[in-house]
Amino acid sequence: MQTIRLENTFPEVFANRNDLTSEVWQQDVTFEKGHLYLVEASSGTGKSSLCSFIYGYRQDYQGMISFDGQNIRNLKVSEWTRLRQRHLSLMWQELRLFPELTAMENVLIKNRLTGFKGKKEIRRWFEELGIADKEQSRLGLMSFGQQQRVAMIRALVQPFDFLLVDEPISHLDDQNARLMADIMMEEATRQGAGVIVTSIGKHVEMNYDRILKL
Amino acid sequence: MIWKLLRQHISALQLLGFFVANLFGMLIVLLALQFYRDVKPIFSQDDGIINNDYLILSKRISTMGLTSSSFSQRELDDLREQPFTKSIGTFTASQYKVACSMGIEGVANFGTQMYFESVPDRYVDTDRSQWHYEEGSDLVPIILPRSYLAIYNFGFAQSRSLPKISESVISMLDMVVVLRGNGNERRMRGKIVGFTNRLQTILVPESFMTWSNREFAPDSDTSPTRLICEVGNPTDDRITKYVNEHGLEIDEDKLKAGKTTYFLKVMSGIVMAIGLLISVLSFFILMLSIYLLVQKNTQKLQNLLLIGYSPRRVSLPYQLLTIGMNLVVLLLAIVLLWWVRSYYMELLWAMFPSMQESSMIPAYILGGVLFLAVSILNAIAIRRKVMTIWRG
Repeated sequence: MQTIRLENTFPEVFANRNDLTSEVWQQDVTFEKGHLYLVEASSGTGKSSLCSFIYGYRQDYQGMISFDGQNIRNLKVSEWTRLRQRHLSLMWQELRLFPELTAMENVLIKNRLTGFKGKKEIRRWFEELGIADKEQSRLGLMSFGQQQRVAMIRALVQPFDFLLVDEPISHLDDQNARLMADIMMEEATRQGAGVIVTSIGKHVEMNYDRILKL
Repeated sequence: MIWKLLRQHISALQLLGFFVANLFGMLIVLLALQFYRDVKPIFSQDDGIINNDYLILSKRISTMGLTSSSFSQRELDDLREQPFTKSIGTFTASQYKVACSMGIEGVANFGTQMYFESVPDRYVDTDRSQWHYEEGSDLVPIILPRSYLAIYNFGFAQSRSLPKISESVISMLDMVVVLRGNGNERRMRGKIVGFTNRLQTILVPESFMTWSNREFAPDSDTSPTRLICEVGNPTDDRITKYVNEHGLEIDEDKLKAGKTTYFLKVMSGIVMAIGLLISVLSFFILMLSIYLLVQKNTQKLQNLLLIGYSPRRVSLPYQLLTIGMNLVVLLLAIVLLWWVRSYYMELLWAMFPSMQESSMIPAYILGGVLFLAVSILNAIAIRRKVMTIWRG
């Protein structure tokens, strides 16, 4: 997958609004593989909606979103499953982890599906992000900041052409945010993937190819 | 690991409820079928000779003895045209003298005067490989009423401390038949090829009867005195009505057996329907339970789908759970069926020693079909439920 293109796209709930001044909604925007994007937003401008539209679990939008020219509304269930395993990764703002499982199990449940990373590499990430001692802890007992790091690791244990991260560092201090950004970019660069980061203010300084205001 | 997630909120009590209900439903269905099959032969006693849907008709003997006891061609035609009649065969009696002696190894120790009767071969549904006679042959196949054997075994042999004879042994006895008439006499060998409970007569093949009557009593009147009538439904009211109006007699016992079989069929049908109903209800309990489970785990299922698990893979644990339970129910039902059956079969055997055991395969097949139907429906329902989560 080389491009994600949004043509005249906007959430249906904005249909009656005439004051949309956005560089994404109702525009023609193309995200390209290998580039780093920052989507800046104030709250209520549809940041998480953007992620869910692209990731295919919400269709309440107007206009068209396409992957390599194919309208994603026409994708079949099996194609979405394949995309989510091989081409598209999303780190949710609300994380969507499983509180009943341990931190490690939360990562393995994804890695088992893709078989992408070795346990050694996953352990290294746990260490680098400073949560090695939490590997076997039940996720539900961990702080949100720690959970964010687990969610990031889970987002990375799959091949992807695009990585979407929805407010990844909201609960991290600057040092941990930097660490996480480095690990993310290291993996994305290795895979030659495009990265779309969203944020409502707090974000890590990186070499963004393009910054869009939502 | 998926299982670790998805087993959350499984209610053991609900599953137990389903399990018990489904087990009872399945057991009742299978038991009704098996019991029907086991008991049916006792009533219908279609042990080879005459099938259940055949009635034996004769004219009522009046005290004055004035009316003819044989059927005329017109009467036959009239009967043939009745709506309940499928076909009619006539009994032909031997018109000559028959003497018979039985013995072991050529020593005759039991002799009597007797007679033969025959019915068209198609009314004899025993193994017909031995049921034919060729002109000139000295061997006469014979079918005896089973009661004759009972009279010997329980009356004669008992009182004289003689050994009891089984059906297979009696077929090996030497039987010498002497036919006399029209100035001829001929010695022949008789061979007992079967027994009948229903037909109180000594049967020989029709071809033999035709030949022997021609040979030993060429001038006699051979119009039939008894008829065998194949009917669609032996409990048909019109039969009783016709028989009464025309002064005929039916083998009452046979009619009763027919009615009993009919009621047995109806009763088994009702019991099976109840069993099926319980099965259907238990199926809904399971579906409700699974739906509740899926509902409670919606968030987890949705997250699994979002991180790239296919709906098929997410449905699988629940499908396996239900199929596994259904399988255990099936196996347990079969084991219980065995157990219950061995219990009542013992009783039946005590009452009807000559009863033949019927196969359990139809019950297995029915159980398998139920299992498959319920499992497939379960699997489809679970998959559909997961798909509604996919669509959000």
